[in-house]
Amino acid sequence: MTSLSHAITEAKLLLTCGPGGVGKTTTAAALGVAAARAGRKTVVVTVDPARRLADALGLGDEAATDEPHLVVGVTNCSKDGELWALMLDAEQTFDRLVRDQSPTKKQADAVLNNPVYQAISGSLSGAQEYMAIERLHQLHSSGEWDLIIVDTPPSRHAIDLLEAPDRLVGFLGHPVYRALTVGQRAFARVTDAAASMFLWAVKRLAGPQIVEDTVNFFRSLANIEGGLRKRANEVSALLRDDDTCFVVVSSPRAEAVGEAQHLLDALQAKNFPFGGLVVNLIHPLPEALAPADAALLAELEDGPLAEHVAWHKELTTLAAAERVELISLEVLAGDAPIIELPLLDHDIHDVPGLIDLSARLV
Amino acid sequence: MSSDWLTRSNVVIVAGKGGVGSSTLAAAHALAAAREGADVLFIAVDGRPGMGALLGGREITDRSQVLQRNVASKGSGTISARTIPADQAFGDYLELKGVGGILRRAASAASLPMIAAATPGLEHLLVLGKIKELELEGAADLIIVDAPPAGHAAPFLRSASGLSEVVKSGPVLDQASEVSEMLADSARCMALLVALPEETPITEAIELAAELGDEIGLGLLPLIVNACWPDRAGLAKTPAVAARSHKIKLSAEAKSALESAAAFGRSRLEQQRYQIERLRTERPEPVITLPRLATPQIGPAELSVLADALVEADPS
Repeated sequence: MTSLSHAITEAKLLLTCGPGGVGKTTTAAALGVAAARAGRKTVVVTVDPARRLADALGLGDEAATDEPHLVVGVTNCSKDGELWALMLDAEQTFDRLVRDQSPTKKQADAVLNNPVYQAISGSLSGAQEYMAIERLHQLHSSGEWDLIIVDTPPSRHAIDLLEAPDRLVGFLGHPVYRALTVGQRAFARVTDAAASMFLWAVKRLAGPQIVEDTVNFFRSLANIEGGLRKRANEVSALLRDDDTCFVVVSSPRAEAVGEAQHLLDALQAKNFPFGGLVVNLIHPLPEALAPADAALLAELEDGPLAEHVAWHKELTTLAAAERVELISLEVLAGDAPIIELPLLDHDIHDVPGLIDLSARLV
Repeated sequence: MSSDWLTRSNVVIVAGKGGVGSSTLAAAHALAAAREGADVLFIAVDGRPGMGALLGGREITDRSQVLQRNVASKGSGTISARTIPADQAFGDYLELKGVGGILRRAASAASLPMIAAATPGLEHLLVLGKIKELELEGAADLIIVDAPPAGHAAPFLRSASGLSEVVKSGPVLDQASEVSEMLADSARCMALLVALPEETPITEAIELAAELGDEIGLGLLPLIVNACWPDRAGLAKTPAVAARSHKIKLSAEAKSALESAAAFGRSRLEQQRYQIERLRTERPEPVITLPRLATPQIGPAELSVLADALVEADPS
């Protein structure tokens, strides 16, 4: 199969993942274009688009983050759907999560105003990954969208993203966290050994003020813990739903292929539905020189023709080596569709460019 | 020709967005400096597999080990390498603060994720703090740090200043100020930024340079544009015209084959010239271009070519 049309017409959630620098965001946007033109109301959630692509999606500097913007110029007939784009803002998503999950506004404010919370909501390691997943869940439950496409944060360990919900549950189940949040005991009465050690360590390392903020933060979090836990489990199930589909984007460079392989193994091991592979940035393979011509051109003196021959040889060597990598990717993809895209002369940063690319994908 | 810049500071932090080859460049820099006679410690923050083999030794672990000796023609030139896992840096740090063994093990095993959650950027700071300790004790002539990839280099380096906003007292604050001091002193620490000669990577390199250099205050070494095609002016002519100056007549098939490569080459070279020029216009730092190697996999042989290119580079 050489088309992702099934994924964009049938799936309700589509996640693009892969190593950095392979055109993941552009691919996600082009899949969005394809879906919208196939009649579906689609939103593309992205994290850190290159500036000119962001402008094309209506996500330039002026645009508000964390809310969908209609992308103009994508669709042109009444049967078409719509394409919207949304720039993820981890802090705002975290805030919304806390508000949604808090039984009362007072409890929500207690978390939101805590200095420790304010510091971690944007920078907690893994927070971006988790929030991408969380925002996906919010969009999914709103029922407004036929298809939600999530361009996952660039990460060497892209699999972090998929484990984020489980990690949160793990955090909430941590003995130290449990000891600190059981009941509303005063700080002085925390008797659990691990928890005291934790507080002692934080105090020694970072001073008494942060200890108080930390304990308060964990306690205020306890009010919303049930909600967070439930949400994490729902997201975990959603990612494994039959209507969900993961598209892995790679390039034919050995380093990227290695990461793609790692990702594919992890998807399989954890039962995430794999929908297809896109291999981007492939160098063109020049026409081969006939043996007689190659012999004639083998020993030229310096000059423009020698440069032509050297260039032909270099490009052929690189492109041929990439074809070897492609074969190993084709084996990895198995029965799933695999789409091979050439390295383009210029980066795609406008809607017509995305429309061209979408035609190659489906 | 001067390669002094390779060892201008005690620590070099190598950074670039994903896919530009910054880990490879970090390894090439280590090899180049060792060839110039320096004893180099290579620190893989991310611990990506395969880096040890690339540098001619075994897999890099959390203990410093020698990968190559006597790399230089004169002088010694040793390359050692290690990773710095955050939990180990935490344990070392507690030890440094005179915390007893059992308590230390318990505290570091049970609580690092919790403490890290409570003090954002702490893991990064611990790693940077460990690098600072290694620098202060003179662990090597030059410490090369392969910084976290993708969007993570700036948060990594910002952890020191970010933490001092939340943490108002205690050793973490001291640690943060000592790390900030090292980052701000270009005799001690500088950054090597890596890009590709393509539109998005150059734009991101310009942004990263502004962030690390102008905002965080790191000294910047020459900017590296990696994987540049050799500039072949002869491609501007058609194969047929080019053949005339060699007094050769090409078959139609040969013309077509050469042109099929040349058409792609012309537009790549044009794009490359334009992007490198853009980087030079936007940034005051000198620029070094490195050759693209016609293989998708970089091994020790290719690394050697890159290291030579760094030694012979004339930053301009």
